[in-house]
Amino acid sequence: MSLGVSIAALMRASLLTTMRYRASFVGEAVMAVAWAAWTTAPLFVVFDQAPTLAGWTADEALAVVGFFIIAQGVLEALVDPNLRAVVEHVRQGTFDFVLLKPLDAQLYVSLHRTEPLKLVHCLVGIGVVGYAADAVNAGPVELLSATLLMLAGLTLLHSLWTVVVSSAFFFVKVDNLSWLIRAGLDAGRWPVSLYRGLVRFVLTFVLPIGLVTTYPALALRGELKPSTGLGAMVIAVIFAGVARIAWTQSLRRYSSASS
Amino acid sequence: MFRAFPTLLRIGLAEAVAYRAELVIWVLTATAPLISMFIWDRVAEEGPLGGWGQGEMARYFLLALIVRHITSAWVVWELNENIRTGSLSPMLLRPMHPLVFFVAQNLSAMPLRAVILAPLIVGILWWRPELLWTPEPWTIALGLVSAVFAWAIAFAAQVIFGSLAFFSQQSLGLFNVYFGLWSLGSGYLFPLELAPEWLRQVLLWLPFRATLATPVELLAGLVAWEDALGLVAAQVVWAVVFVGLAAMTWNLGVKRHEAVGA
Repeated sequence: MSLGVSIAALMRASLLTTMRYRASFVGEAVMAVAWAAWTTAPLFVVFDQAPTLAGWTADEALAVVGFFIIAQGVLEALVDPNLRAVVEHVRQGTFDFVLLKPLDAQLYVSLHRTEPLKLVHCLVGIGVVGYAADAVNAGPVELLSATLLMLAGLTLLHSLWTVVVSSAFFFVKVDNLSWLIRAGLDAGRWPVSLYRGLVRFVLTFVLPIGLVTTYPALALRGELKPSTGLGAMVIAVIFAGVARIAWTQSLRRYSSASS
Repeated sequence: MFRAFPTLLRIGLAEAVAYRAELVIWVLTATAPLISMFIWDRVAEEGPLGGWGQGEMARYFLLALIVRHITSAWVVWELNENIRTGSLSPMLLRPMHPLVFFVAQNLSAMPLRAVILAPLIVGILWWRPELLWTPEPWTIALGLVSAVFAWAIAFAAQVIFGSLAFFSQQSLGLFNVYFGLWSLGSGYLFPLELAPEWLRQVLLWLPFRATLATPVELLAGLVAWEDALGLVAAQVVWAVVFVGLAAMTWNLGVKRHEAVGA
């Protein structure tokens, strides 16, 4: 069985579950728009007072918010529900059934509880980014590099979650930790260059939300040096590798529910 | 009823200590004012905005963080859980009003919250010592009174949305909508004084600022005496309205409560 077939099957299962609750689609769409408005409101208040802030205009900062909304959507649709389910599996002992499947366990847990409905948030985020891209006159090269950087950023987020979830094999109750990280990620709605010193360092390298939201926005402005962009992608690949190692090492320590 | 109160406070404190790790996480998830503080610090870097320099910004958001934590409540989740699972029924049988229990539980977690916040406060003071100010006694006195009203309004609001669980499955969703509006309109994410004029005027007529901005601005000494009395008077009105609504929804809800064993 090829990888593509498995992924398609997992996605189809999630989609079918969602289709049972078609009426929620409208509700979710309304919520997504309201949530986007809520996320951008503080930005308008700030830029009402200062036309530019650390070299960012309102439209450019809007791009950061757009990428932030996309990242939150991906987090809620793909990353968080799937990985939170792992914590539940470990606690209840059903994780054994996951390991018994003839499919890579990391791939399976990353996709088995997807909530496609939440991807509506991504559509709204893409709309916001589109508006900002138009306002800063982004060309095709800028759009392409912004997209690539965003994908690198999302890889980073997924890796970060995987590491957190891997610790569930040792500490069991880590779902509260994911709330803590999400509160930290909230800082990513602002360009990371607005922060200083230690905070900026943490948001770039430890909780790398700056890479997820600010770097794509910089690329959209055409102000990201190719070397920085490449560096960001290399970091994403390294993080993914670290996550893979953390996951396999933790699995080795997992002493099933029945043994 | 009030004889039991000290015991309830002790139980609440013991509970808070037992779940201290979780409390740390909950305190740290409500640190949005820190992010706002860094951003507005940057805005005021070029020079003060309408009298607000970097010191005032840091003072405002430090106090916003503190007031947010001394007026915070979580009774909406407790009520929702207890109503849905039916564990409210035994509480209704006790000779004490269930809400008295929740008030005690809420108040008794405060000392521990203060302990958890202390290092953050010290860190902010070290980062921006300019925020220190010589407060006038009346601003502190009125600010503390105002904080009590702010807590009462916030608690009553949560009782209202918590009691909606008697009627609807969506009560938590409704509360989230309220919370979203609250965080924009209360001065939690940005100082209302710096919002566009039209927004400021609208927010003067809404209850949100009474739950946070009013005590924060008073304690920070950013309000003139004439305005201060009006703001606190508005708080009293909102407190009466919210407590009244909370009593109404609670009583109506308990009447139609049909959980297992009720």
